[in-house]
Amino acid sequence: MIDRPRLAPTLALLAAIPLLASGCGGEREESASSGGAGPCAENSQAKQRYDKSWQSAQRQLGLSGLKPPDLRLCDVDTSKFKKSAEDGRYRVAFAAQGPTNSWALENEEAFKYHAKQRNTEVLYASANGDATKQVDNIQQLASQDPDAMVVVPMGPGIKGQVAAAARQDIPVVLCAGRLEGDSGAISTVARSYELQATLWAEWLVKQLDGEGRVAMLSGIAGVPTAEYQKAAAEKVFAQHPGIEIVSKEYTDWSPTKAKTVASTLVSKNLDGIWSDSGISDLGVVEAYQSADEPIPPMTGDSSNAFLKAVDGKDVEFALSAFPPEQSTQCLDVALDALAGKKVPNVVNVESAAFTHEQIDEYIRKDCSDDLWIPTSLPPALLKKLKLC
Amino acid sequence: MSSAVATGREGGRAARLAGGLAPVAGVLAVLAIAAVTTPDLYERNNLTLILFLAGLIGITAVGQTIVLLTGGIDLSIGAVIGLTTVIVATQTDGRGSALPGAITLALLAGLAIGLANAGLVLLRDVPPFVATFATFVLVQGAITAWTRGAPSGDIPDALAPIGADRLAGIPVPLWLFAGLAGIAAVVLSRTTVGRRLYATGANRRAASLSGIRTGRVIAGAYVVSALLAVFAGLVDAAYIGHVDAQLSRSLNLDSVAAAVIGGVALTGGRGHIGQTAAGVALLAVLLVWMLQLGAGVGGQLTVEGAAILLAAWLQHRVPSGRTNR
Repeated sequence: MIDRPRLAPTLALLAAIPLLASGCGGEREESASSGGAGPCAENSQAKQRYDKSWQSAQRQLGLSGLKPPDLRLCDVDTSKFKKSAEDGRYRVAFAAQGPTNSWALENEEAFKYHAKQRNTEVLYASANGDATKQVDNIQQLASQDPDAMVVVPMGPGIKGQVAAAARQDIPVVLCAGRLEGDSGAISTVARSYELQATLWAEWLVKQLDGEGRVAMLSGIAGVPTAEYQKAAAEKVFAQHPGIEIVSKEYTDWSPTKAKTVASTLVSKNLDGIWSDSGISDLGVVEAYQSADEPIPPMTGDSSNAFLKAVDGKDVEFALSAFPPEQSTQCLDVALDALAGKKVPNVVNVESAAFTHEQIDEYIRKDCSDDLWIPTSLPPALLKKLKLC
Repeated sequence: MSSAVATGREGGRAARLAGGLAPVAGVLAVLAIAAVTTPDLYERNNLTLILFLAGLIGITAVGQTIVLLTGGIDLSIGAVIGLTTVIVATQTDGRGSALPGAITLALLAGLAIGLANAGLVLLRDVPPFVATFATFVLVQGAITAWTRGAPSGDIPDALAPIGADRLAGIPVPLWLFAGLAGIAAVVLSRTTVGRRLYATGANRRAASLSGIRTGRVIAGAYVVSALLAVFAGLVDAAYIGHVDAQLSRSLNLDSVAAAVIGGVALTGGRGHIGQTAAGVALLAVLLVWMLQLGAGVGGQLTVEGAAILLAAWLQHRVPSGRTNR
């Protein structure tokens, strides 16, 4: 008799692996928007501040006329959270992504460093890039009765747990991501996805004088970071009938996959590539160089690896940072709430946006490919993390 | 009665022939359809990509085939590939002089993973797909813990020839696959080791009773698979020239898919390297064609999954106990 393993469970497991892998963390994993625990009356100052952050971003790339999305913007009254710190130190819970990639590593190290500067105790939990694990993390952190909580959201699935923490009168700040609808969080502090995607798309349109064949490269299918940015860029391109979207692909934020995908794009006579990642751009550069073809203008976030790869080469690009250090602003907002100060319900993190013409200002040849630039981390910490 | 037996034999032979020709027919069908729907597939860069992918997937598929023939499966291949690129990047940081040391370390890591897989399967009787999947997760976790998610370092240029270069216009990885496939084909079909491998996969108890040390055969298969995954990791690192933290995500299933699509049995003891090569060709063409069609991740996974299921279904129509050798 033939000794055969059972086929059905094997096939079931094979089918499950891609699903499991896709749940294991991308470049960044986050989701969408803000609620507000306290009274939050719309006011023009909040809107002006938000609009100003959009204006300064577009000026950096020489653009104008970009309109921010229609958001409910206000300052949240946090007087009910006001408290003095026991032993002079606040205890702030940090539900982090976990160091699944260099962005997340810098994100949490910046938070911890800033907490030390602000004499704050950090209660830390790592989600390993997984929303399900983060649900448990938030529950456990909330049970430790922290003064405030900062959450880097891994997906919409954590909304219930965030709301539960908020119901315990813990001021929750969503950081570097967002949750749609009212999650009970007092504030969402993040670089706007819409701003990033719109900047890249509008720069490309300007570079092509409104006409040309464009490919779109996004990260991981279904991950909010990738999907929100893709949708915002599509909206921009739809307003320019001269722009033809030739191809829309996903790169898994892997340079290898990006090179494979881009190898099939070389023959499509592209005039530009809209990409949401400097890491994916590495693969695009490799593919065009292997084919000995000129690299079309491209976009992405600001990875040192990409700048090193294109340094000295004739490549046009526009990058806009999604700074890992935005976690320090998240902590500041949480501490403001504990001080009873009014906090904005949405903070658009300001960051650098630049083109190939400014590469010398931004490239860090002395630092690792993994560094996200420009960095505000102190040199000693960069050295400790082996980033510089 | 005798005519019924004869008819049965002919039916079995016909089914085996159909199973063997299916992937080749699949390649031809895809190429024919693509000629009409997406003629760009025949553009030089796309053909080069198909050949490269065939080479990279093929190297891992040779190892996977050997494991499948013993009745096992190796789901840790993607993690070993990822680990290899991280070892090369962190240990060399772009210095060619440090490459031999890094490769040695990667091979030792591959050896350890292969032995761990074999140990779990043989000593603890853990089902192979559970054992190797656990190893996959463990290695992924170890990479993250070791590098804290940020593997630093560069890939030395000295490695480039095995991944990024071409020989006679054909990507070097395809030549490497061809060489490995040739060696594997000879070992499997013309040596005692090969015969023992088939016997172990077809019926381990009978093989054991006939004096074959089936434990050694199975352990050897897992070790060879892991070492070929290390080799594939080197090829891939050379191809992209950068350390890739997301690598194992996209490569973890291709080797199984190629072997199974080619007709190698998931149940062990049936199949040969020629079938794997045909499966590799079909998978590489399919993957690039899907990209040309702009099918997206969903479309690509669906087609790949459907091809595996179809192949498995076709296999089960072949009468059991017969070999495809």
